[in-house]
Amino acid sequence: MDRKELESQIFEMISQLYKKDVSELSLDTTFADDLGGASVLMVGLVSEIENELDVMIQLQDAAACETIGDLVDKVEEEL
Amino acid sequence: MSILEKLSLKAKEHPMRVAFPEGENEKMMQAAYECAEEGAIFAVLVGDSEKLRALASERGLDPEKFGYADLQDESLIADIIAKYTALPDTRLKEKALRRRMADPLYFAMVMQAAGEADVTFAGINYTTEDVLLAGQMIIGLKEGISTVSSIGLCEIPGFAGSEGELLAVGDSAVCANPTEEQLADIAISACETVKELLDWEPRCAFISYSTLGSGQGPLIDKVSAAVRIAQEKRPDLALDGEFQLDAAIVPAVAAKKVKRESAVAGRANILIWPDLNVGNAGVKLIQILGHADAYGPLLQGFRKIICDCSRSAPVSELKGNIIMSAIRAARKGE
Repeated sequence: MDRKELESQIFEMISQLYKKDVSELSLDTTFADDLGGASVLMVGLVSEIENELDVMIQLQDAAACETIGDLVDKVEEEL
Repeated sequence: MSILEKLSLKAKEHPMRVAFPEGENEKMMQAAYECAEEGAIFAVLVGDSEKLRALASERGLDPEKFGYADLQDESLIADIIAKYTALPDTRLKEKALRRRMADPLYFAMVMQAAGEADVTFAGINYTTEDVLLAGQMIIGLKEGISTVSSIGLCEIPGFAGSEGELLAVGDSAVCANPTEEQLADIAISACETVKELLDWEPRCAFISYSTLGSGQGPLIDKVSAAVRIAQEKRPDLALDGEFQLDAAIVPAVAAKKVKRESAVAGRANILIWPDLNVGNAGVKLIQILGHADAYGPLLQGFRKIICDCSRSAPVSELKGNIIMSAIRAARKGE
C-alpha cells in the first residue's frame, strides 16, 4: 500500500469514528484540539487500524500522536 | 467482624469465576488459591496450564483447586472468539483478537466479555495503564459513561458517619483532572459501585472548598457544573454539592451551612474529589491521620468488573480486592 492510499484509509476511519467530513481532515489535524481528544474514540481508531490494516499499534503510542500525520507515520513504520 | 470478613461471607453466597492472567506470580497465585479454598470464588488461571499446575505443586498448593484457561487451547480460543465477535459493539475482529490473545491479560478479558469469566483480576505485573487500555479495548465502557475512574472504601476507626466507620471516596487513583462531565460520571459510577458492593443507598457529595456558592472561582464552577450534569443525568440518585468536606459528613456543620433541603449534606456516604491532587492527598490523610484501612481502587465505568490491584499489594490486600470484585460482579449478574 502506498502512502497516499494509507492516508486515505486512515482519513476515512477517523471521519467515521469522530463524525467529521473527510474534507475537514488533513495531516495537520490535531487529535486534542481539532478532534476533541476523547480517549474512547482513540481506542476505536486503534482497533479499526488493527482490523483493517493488520497493524498492531499500542494505544499508548497512538495516544502520543499529536496529529493525524504523526499517526499515519506510526502506522507506516509498522506496515 | 471487619468489613472484609462480612464481604467474604457475602461472596461465598454466589462464588464468581475470576480470571487471573498473572497466575504465575506467587502472591497472585496464593491469593487466588486462598479465596478459592474458602469458597469465595472459582479461580481460573490464564496462561500455560501445564506450567501453572507445576508451579502450584511446587508452592505446596493443590493444583486441582484452580480452573485453567490455556493460551494454546485452540477449541477454547475458537469458542470465546466466536462468542466475543457475536456481541454487539465489540471492536476487534478475529485476526486482531487472536494476536492480542497471545497476551494473558487480553485472553482473560475476551473470556470475560464472552461470558466465560465474571471478573478479570490483574495488576501485580501489568501496569495500571495496561489494565485500563485492555479494558477499554476489550470490555468497553458502560453506556453513557465517558471515563474510567475508581473509588476506595475506607474503614476509619472511631468515625461515626452515616455508614458507621465506612466511607467511600473517589477518584483517588485514575482520572487525574476530570472535566465537569467526567466528574459527573465518576459520581454516578461511584453510586452504582457502592450499591453493588455494599447495598448502600448512595448519598454522594461533590467536595470543594466552597459550600453552595460560599466561595467563587473556576475551581468551584467546575464542581457545581458537575453536580448539575450528574443530577440531570440521574435524577434517581442522591447527588449534591458543592460541599466542603465538613458540610458533607458532619450533620451539625451541614445544618449551619446548607440552608436548603438536601438528602446528602451532613450524611454523605460517598465523597467525590474535584481532582486527583485532592483525591490522592485526601485518601492519604484518611489513612495516616485517621488510621484507616483503605480498600481498592475499585475500577468503575467498565461494562464488566475489572480489578487493577496495587503492584506492591500483599496477599491479604489482594484477597480483599478479589472478594470485592467478585461481589460487584455477582450483583451485576442479578
